[in-house]
Amino acid sequence: MNRLVSITLFTVLVCNFLSAQNKQILYDFNEIPQSLMVNPGVESDFKWYFGVPFISGISGYLGINGVSVNDIFAEDGLDINDKVRDRMVNGMVPRNEFSGNVQMELLNIGFRSSNPNIFYSGGAYLEFDNITYWPRDYAQLIFDGNADQLDRKFDLGDLKTRGSLVTVYHLGINKKVDKNLTIGARGKIYSGIMDYNSTRNSGYLLNTEGQNNILNTTLSADLELRTSGFGQLDDASENGTVSNTLVKRALFGGDLGLGLDLGFSYRVNEQTVFTASVLDLGFIYHGGDTQNYSLAGTANSEGIQINVLRELSNLNRDYWQDLVDEIEELIPFQETNNGYLTFRPTKVNASLRYDFGKPLGSSEDCDCTTDPSGSNEPRMAYRNSVGGHLFLINRPRDSQAAITGFYMRRFGNIMALKATYTADKFSFTNIGFGLNLQADPVNLYAIADNLLSYRNIAASNYASFQLGLNIISWGNK
Amino acid sequence: MLLLRNAVFLCIAVTFLLSCSDKQDFSQYDDLTITPTLETSIFYIKTQESIINRVTGLSFFSQDFNFDAFEEDLFAERVLEGSITYELENTTSKEIEITIEFLDANGDVLDSEFFRMEAAPTALLTRVVAYGGINKSLDILRNTSQIRLSAVNLGDNTSTSSLPDPAVVLRSSAKFMVRVK
Repeated sequence: MNRLVSITLFTVLVCNFLSAQNKQILYDFNEIPQSLMVNPGVESDFKWYFGVPFISGISGYLGINGVSVNDIFAEDGLDINDKVRDRMVNGMVPRNEFSGNVQMELLNIGFRSSNPNIFYSGGAYLEFDNITYWPRDYAQLIFDGNADQLDRKFDLGDLKTRGSLVTVYHLGINKKVDKNLTIGARGKIYSGIMDYNSTRNSGYLLNTEGQNNILNTTLSADLELRTSGFGQLDDASENGTVSNTLVKRALFGGDLGLGLDLGFSYRVNEQTVFTASVLDLGFIYHGGDTQNYSLAGTANSEGIQINVLRELSNLNRDYWQDLVDEIEELIPFQETNNGYLTFRPTKVNASLRYDFGKPLGSSEDCDCTTDPSGSNEPRMAYRNSVGGHLFLINRPRDSQAAITGFYMRRFGNIMALKATYTADKFSFTNIGFGLNLQADPVNLYAIADNLLSYRNIAASNYASFQLGLNIISWGNK
Repeated sequence: MLLLRNAVFLCIAVTFLLSCSDKQDFSQYDDLTITPTLETSIFYIKTQESIINRVTGLSFFSQDFNFDAFEEDLFAERVLEGSITYELENTTSKEIEITIEFLDANGDVLDSEFFRMEAAPTALLTRVVAYGGINKSLDILRNTSQIRLSAVNLGDNTSTSSLPDPAVVLRSSAKFMVRVK
């Protein structure tokens, strides 16, 4: 029971707002080393970089579509019961989601090989990840009940949630194949700290007119919640050793998995670049500390039924207990410790970028600099870019997409700015802004999303941030 | 380094200065009430006329049944109000009386419902008994551990109704509002 309470609290308080993040501003922001994390095949020109541990890359987002904090908690004089009923219980649909992501780099380093066309990077990061869809029929059942709703089927399949806390160890290689093509790959080892998922549910609760009695109640359920890691954390909580347990599970002491990122950048011509990446093609096997709960079966009940003629010799039996036993036999609640496999939420990015501009502090006859990586085939780094970006992610219900248009401006080697407009299921007015500052070897970046919502942040359906601090060296330094 | 630090502080300051929010009152959560009304059948009893004819004397049926549904914590601690609906159908040739008594764990009667129905053909007798508020006390249900059903035949023991499958049928369902929050 404690375990279930822990899972519920974890889901509601922490992870309901966490899920894999669209990093459309960071993507193809070549000046920032962390752009390698969203496309291992990005055109990088660093000699080496070293992310300041724990603050080299911190990012997160909250996404809630269908309702906002302001819709429910605004001091508007309306009764919260009316607001919840109108805007959530009756206003939201099962496709609405509560999702988010928090990612913190523990270590991130990169260095160029003796072959100047090859760049290695590696490190580790911690990632919370969750998505919970609005369980509409559960909410309507909890708020209104099933009374006076003859023939209404409450869909138990509305429950879909998935979340995890993992440490990811990664090693990547980025290779400039020629002047036009750069490819990259990143291998990942996942060390799962905790996981829960309940995504393949089905069934219904239904009241119909009874054959004998007034009502016939049918419960048909195929529900399953799979968890991992919560047992050890429960025990650790009682023993006061939560930190040790978290660290142990983060250092390969929990569930293990493998993953792969792939990406490339291809120059269609001198000023046009097409890029794409696929991230987290991977899985985790949960086997060490799993606890699974299931409820499966179908039962019909018209209450206690006594046909005196048929049961004349057996009228003293305990009809109530027999009814309870019969239902429990037809729909058994089971707990198992079977291992299970989960697949990581795979992301796909693609972008088309056009570089342009006039010379600015450059000896070249353009607004550009040459590639400082030391490669034999230098390429131009233009100071203006404009383009589009597509993001896809697989979700328990379906794939979700976001499309972005961006403009980027580089001010010498000191500063680069990127502005974006993104449309997705959370917002059609998502204006984002990224700032990259370079002071000698010190690199700092800050990125924020959905800036228009800052006029009333409580009314926003989406907010995200990314920031980090790195030490960078270029090839010609 | 100083430039960077100042730039970061500037960005953060600008973000916070530009961001704002309508006033929120999270204490409203305390006022949120969740009180669903749940409905299901509770018991059904059918006594055929052939059984009634076999029993001499007025009382042809009396039986105590264990019934813990109302004692379950989920119900007893959360119920706010509700009702029990009874439907009585008599297709026999006899006038009958039905008494339903709610008993506590000691067998003491907490409450009772009395029904009388003429011989067939009669209309379906429907009665809704409300509990909570100004109606009957919910404590009757909270303390109910058994239900006693008694039936009395006010007619003869020989006649048989011409209706198909003549019997006395008692149907019931419960509809109660419970407090989730």
